[in-house]
Amino acid sequence: MTTDGFHDGSAIELTPAASFTIDELVAIYNQTRIDYIVPMPMNSQRLAEYIRLYDVNLDASFVAKADGDILGLAMLGVRRDHAWVTRLGVLPNRRKGGIGRALMVAMVEAARQHWLKYVQLEVILNNTPAHKLFLALGFEETNQLLVMRRPPGPVKQPAVGSIEWLDWSQLQRLVRQQPHGVPWTNQSDSYDHMAMVEGCRVNLADGGRGWCIFRRQPLVLSHIRLHTEAGDPNAVGSALLAHVHQRHSRLDTQAENIRCDDPHLAAYEQHGYIEAFQRIEMLLNLVANERVNKNPPQSAS
Amino acid sequence: MPTILVIEDIPDNAALARRVLNAYGYSVLEAADAASGLDMALEQHPDLILLDLGLPDADGQTVAGVLRGTPETQNIPIVVFTAWPEETARQMVRAYGCNGFIRKPLSVIDFAQAIASYLS
Repeated sequence: MTTDGFHDGSAIELTPAASFTIDELVAIYNQTRIDYIVPMPMNSQRLAEYIRLYDVNLDASFVAKADGDILGLAMLGVRRDHAWVTRLGVLPNRRKGGIGRALMVAMVEAARQHWLKYVQLEVILNNTPAHKLFLALGFEETNQLLVMRRPPGPVKQPAVGSIEWLDWSQLQRLVRQQPHGVPWTNQSDSYDHMAMVEGCRVNLADGGRGWCIFRRQPLVLSHIRLHTEAGDPNAVGSALLAHVHQRHSRLDTQAENIRCDDPHLAAYEQHGYIEAFQRIEMLLNLVANERVNKNPPQSAS
Repeated sequence: MPTILVIEDIPDNAALARRVLNAYGYSVLEAADAASGLDMALEQHPDLILLDLGLPDADGQTVAGVLRGTPETQNIPIVVFTAWPEETARQMVRAYGCNGFIRKPLSVIDFAQAIASYLS
């Protein structure tokens, strides 16, 4: 596919990412991130897992080239009626040439062709060029998200309340009752694709109760989500985290894409979580917003 | 001659660190990912570990957590090598029990002086 975009006088060609091997995609992706403050490099195993966990559709994801040179890539996750833009990046020395825009327009068009209702994405706070591009394409800010870390170590608050560790079928039922607007990485579909998902339910003496779910990897806990069903979210969240970190005190923890208005933020802080960086979540409503469709990519002849 | 283990996945950064460290008389071990870095730290017992926070197979924080939780490596100085904002880097270093950080991009003279100070 060629687009109406040009880079240094050459037409930008977009090739479906499915035409490339995982090793090739990893090499391209890592090159696009080499100068990022938070580079998040990947190896082949990590990217393959990422594609699987987050339902990335490589036929609707693209690699940008001009005159045979690879310039950048972007990926699109697809679930039911919505899509998620991820891993968008352009080589440092090829930026400001309309490549990111061409990739975005192509993916939004792919989402339209799949009759999807909206596209969501996250952009790292202070990545101004990307943020401006998404606003120009009609995306609107929906949430601000936190990425936090907790180093291994003993629990900082007592593990109170009665705890029940849940099996996968119990967790699946709970996590599928997710409220609207859960970030893509923490949606129930992501947990469906993971091995080693754990979670528990806590009941406090004052009637507070809630549950949590997380992914346990050999060295890291991740994808943690807390939910309070009754009582004070701070007390319920703190009790849940105490039980989780008492059980896994030797593991590092990453809490990714926790909303800034999450009622459990104080509990995270009490348990030694520190902010690594923030993201802005953005959404393009394809039903209501036609602005990006004004410059659709043209088919290659 | 002190030995420094450089855990860094970007070849240009690793090569620059190696050249500077060699020029100042240090012996250098290199690992391009977390798994090989952890193996080398256990097997070679370097005098200092220079650790990138963004590695392809695991985050640098996770590596630091493992090193600090392992008796054989818990006392090896760890210096984080990062482009993160200063305050974030400082918080991460403190939380993960590292000894300090060096900002990217590398300033050759500052880099050598910082390494010497962490080793002393």
